[in-house]
Amino acid sequence: MNSEFENYLQRQPMREIPPHWRARIMAAAQPPPAQWREWLWPCPQAWAALGAAWVVIFVLHFTTPDEPRLAGNFQPLTPQSFAILQEQTMMMAQLLGPNDGDEQPAALPAAPKPRSEMARRQLIG
Amino acid sequence: MASAPNIERLYDDHAPALFAFLLNLLRNEADTQDVMQELFIKLARRPALLKDVRDERGFLLRLGHNLAIDLIRRRGTRDRNYDQLAREPMALFAKSPDPDEQTFREKLAEALGELPADQRAVVHLKLWEKLTFEAIAETLEIPLNTAASRYRYGLDKLRGRLRPIYDEIQ
Repeated sequence: MNSEFENYLQRQPMREIPPHWRARIMAAAQPPPAQWREWLWPCPQAWAALGAAWVVIFVLHFTTPDEPRLAGNFQPLTPQSFAILQEQTMMMAQLLGPNDGDEQPAALPAAPKPRSEMARRQLIG
Repeated sequence: MASAPNIERLYDDHAPALFAFLLNLLRNEADTQDVMQELFIKLARRPALLKDVRDERGFLLRLGHNLAIDLIRRRGTRDRNYDQLAREPMALFAKSPDPDEQTFREKLAEALGELPADQRAVVHLKLWEKLTFEAIAETLEIPLNTAASRYRYGLDKLRGRLRPIYDEIQ
């Protein structure tokens, strides 16, 4: 129970807060200028879904083996196509004629040897 | 994410009490304004602080007290002697048209300034915020018995210092 003295102290009114402080403090307490969070905030689910889609794409990209794609691109040179290439090269050399004399047409690599008589007949025929 | 608190509503409801408490604690108007500004900025930027808070006033007084203590510690060793500052006369109470009462208020402000800051905080919360010792202990994060003893010591000092003028007025 309070004494008379305490009650008297309690009745002494404290000074009021200066009114102009309100505007100053409220101005200072305004949220900071737009940050990346606020920029992102209008639809965070959409951004999250987009991010997840990219993650899935990267995971699939790095987990899929490369061999099939490379194997699909590689086509060995058949004896027929080699013969055609050789013929075209010789024709080109004839059309261009002898240059300064020194320059010789580039030597072609040796044609792969047929592995059987049947293959030889195909190449000639 | 917690919803943004209504800072203006919080200010209107609690700023007068915070002002009186912080001014009594810090004994300096500019520092009081700094701490109040820091407090409301903190509330605006970290709305989660007020999540699940049942007693807004108690929470804001605790936050203000902690910020004030931080300020006293920061500046106390550097450029100000807060004990000295507390003893300087200052307008802590409203002006009274009655000269006797006005004199009493000035003497009361001086006497409060002579109390150690921890006793002053308890006395303020008990007399002018009318908090229970339990609430004071929670606000200042001290044991209940400590809150009660600080109040008793503080009040005894005020009584001893103000008794002559109080008896004159009565």
